[in-house]
Amino acid sequence: MGTATVVIVRGKGVVPRLGQVEPKLVAAMYERGLRILFGQSDAAAGLRTIFSPSDRVGIKVNAIAAPELATPPEVSLPLARLLASAGIREKNIAVWDRTNRELKDARYRLNAEGDAFRVMGTDTAGMGYPGEPVTHLNIGSLFSAIQSSFVTASISLAILKDHGMAGITAGMKNYFGAIHNPNKYHDDHCDPYVAELFDAPAVKSKHRLTVLDALVVQYHRGPSYHPRWAEPCGALVFGLDPVATDAVGGKIIEDLRKAKGLPTLEEDGRPPLYLRSAERMGLGTASLQNIRIIEDTV
Amino acid sequence: MSMNRRTFVRTAGAAGAVLGADIGPALRRLYAFGQTAELSHVEARYYKRLPDREVECDLCPRRCRLGDKERGYCGVRQNDGGTYYTLVYGKACSVNVDPIEKKPFYHVLPGTDALSIATAGCNVHCKFCQNWEISQARPEQVQAFDLPPKAVADTAAKYRCPTIAYTYSEPTVFYEYMYDTSVEARRQGIRSVVVSGGHINPEPLEALIKVVAAIKIDLKAFNEDFYKTYVRGELKPVLEAVKIIAKSGTWLEIVYLVIPTLNDSVEDIRKMSRWILKDVGPDVPVHFTRFHPMYLIKNLPPTPISTLEKLRQAALEEGIRFVYTGNIPGHEGENTYCPQCRKMVIERRGYEIVRNDVRQGTCPSCRTRIPGIWA
Repeated sequence: MGTATVVIVRGKGVVPRLGQVEPKLVAAMYERGLRILFGQSDAAAGLRTIFSPSDRVGIKVNAIAAPELATPPEVSLPLARLLASAGIREKNIAVWDRTNRELKDARYRLNAEGDAFRVMGTDTAGMGYPGEPVTHLNIGSLFSAIQSSFVTASISLAILKDHGMAGITAGMKNYFGAIHNPNKYHDDHCDPYVAELFDAPAVKSKHRLTVLDALVVQYHRGPSYHPRWAEPCGALVFGLDPVATDAVGGKIIEDLRKAKGLPTLEEDGRPPLYLRSAERMGLGTASLQNIRIIEDTV
Repeated sequence: MSMNRRTFVRTAGAAGAVLGADIGPALRRLYAFGQTAELSHVEARYYKRLPDREVECDLCPRRCRLGDKERGYCGVRQNDGGTYYTLVYGKACSVNVDPIEKKPFYHVLPGTDALSIATAGCNVHCKFCQNWEISQARPEQVQAFDLPPKAVADTAAKYRCPTIAYTYSEPTVFYEYMYDTSVEARRQGIRSVVVSGGHINPEPLEALIKVVAAIKIDLKAFNEDFYKTYVRGELKPVLEAVKIIAKSGTWLEIVYLVIPTLNDSVEDIRKMSRWILKDVGPDVPVHFTRFHPMYLIKNLPPTPISTLEKLRQAALEEGIRFVYTGNIPGHEGENTYCPQCRKMVIERRGYEIVRNDVRQGTCPSCRTRIPGIWA
């Protein structure tokens, strides 16, 4: 299976109403989506093809717009359990984001020690943004110790949203939460910064998998939460190609916008330029005609 | 406690311990100790409410348009439910007593101390920032302390500082805190001075200059390309700010950090000098200061002294009357010379005043007026 394959799995009834998620259905969607993506007998077997039992795996969630529009525990913890079933020790699996406050706002119970899953912000004792700034192309930032030191392999589990500057925010831009100064990289539609940050060794060398939380998609006026433009799509999107997965996320948003009679992102003056930059940099495939999209329903 | 120059303020009344540049990078490092600095939640000034809980910041030329829960480019102002808040009001992360020459102000109360404060944040992103640990950080990432405006003024009075300097990071981003502190300080007979990159919109600037005594503008270069590439800002609004300050009568000094090969063109300095002469006047002191490798530009050497001398000479030849070199202790370019008789009227060594012969704002030899704030 080529890397430019993206799997969309929809769960019937997974979002009974805005703000509510059915965790059992989410687990089933993971199982189905990862099985298709990896072409393996089950999701755990697929995960074993990209993670080893000795890995420390970070699941980078996005809790910035908590509680309404954050990756909730009901979506991240089933993935953590799948990783554990694939042979990774629970204490070596970290669900993380920038701050403990944001995680708590997103209804997480923090845990930074013991044998259970780690759930922690970068401001957890012993983490932080240590060392000197890392420069990479136009990026000059301190990296979260969780991304740079703690984890050996990384999953971007991002909320899929419309974004007033970047056009969309999905798996690649989720790593803005891994640096101390994301506010400095929103000029020029966040381009080429999204791609350049992803290209930095602390991200690119560790990233293994993108999962987009499209259970509820903010398709307009994002990244803030506006219920009138938030659509319960009930989908999770899986991809090994970070650019292709984001491109498919962009298509989901464009399709929603079209269905709702809204202008395209380009017509709205904010095309997701970073996708093309990422493709030019060899990070993946941005052209939809070169991406195989597999859709399924649970 | 006797207060000598460069004294680190360890306590500030009820404010508790404070951190400062003089205690070294180890204690200024980005926050990583498991505590979370408390943020302020004070409504910001200079913004517009927009539909759907969006806001547009009118403080600086970026005019960030922000959805709910988003922060501006500065990282210290946040939209929360359609109301815009400053997160750093009264949250100083650096507090020091510095010689005013360190800012540098050379024509403002020479030989006195300035209580110098900063919060996290900046509205540009200079690749050569000398204080990046706080200026390029978000408020959660630095240790900050409750030091409301009155406590700042009280601390300045306690340590006999005739001025409070808003400095180190970019005071524009903590505008409300700076403004209110300036008003409070003025009640106590203490002046305020501002050290800024000048990325501020006219309306807030015009209000600010009514409550402060002096502003130093860091002019990073005299071409837009440099601003775009190395500052992530624009030159034009900075020049507009300089003109507004000059027109207001608030004391103004200009500092130009000279970075080898990047902004050290003599031609640019001549152009800049001609612009200053035309739009600001010949009496604004201009400081050419020495760059040291820092932050994201570590591949260039410190500025050769000969380059600084060459640029100083060019500015003098163009007609600027008070041109200085900085960050070269003991250099003759640190001294103030009477523009008429050329006699040295203030001798400096680093941040120390060796001799100050200015009398009632004039040269003791020829009585030529030496512009500045002298008493």
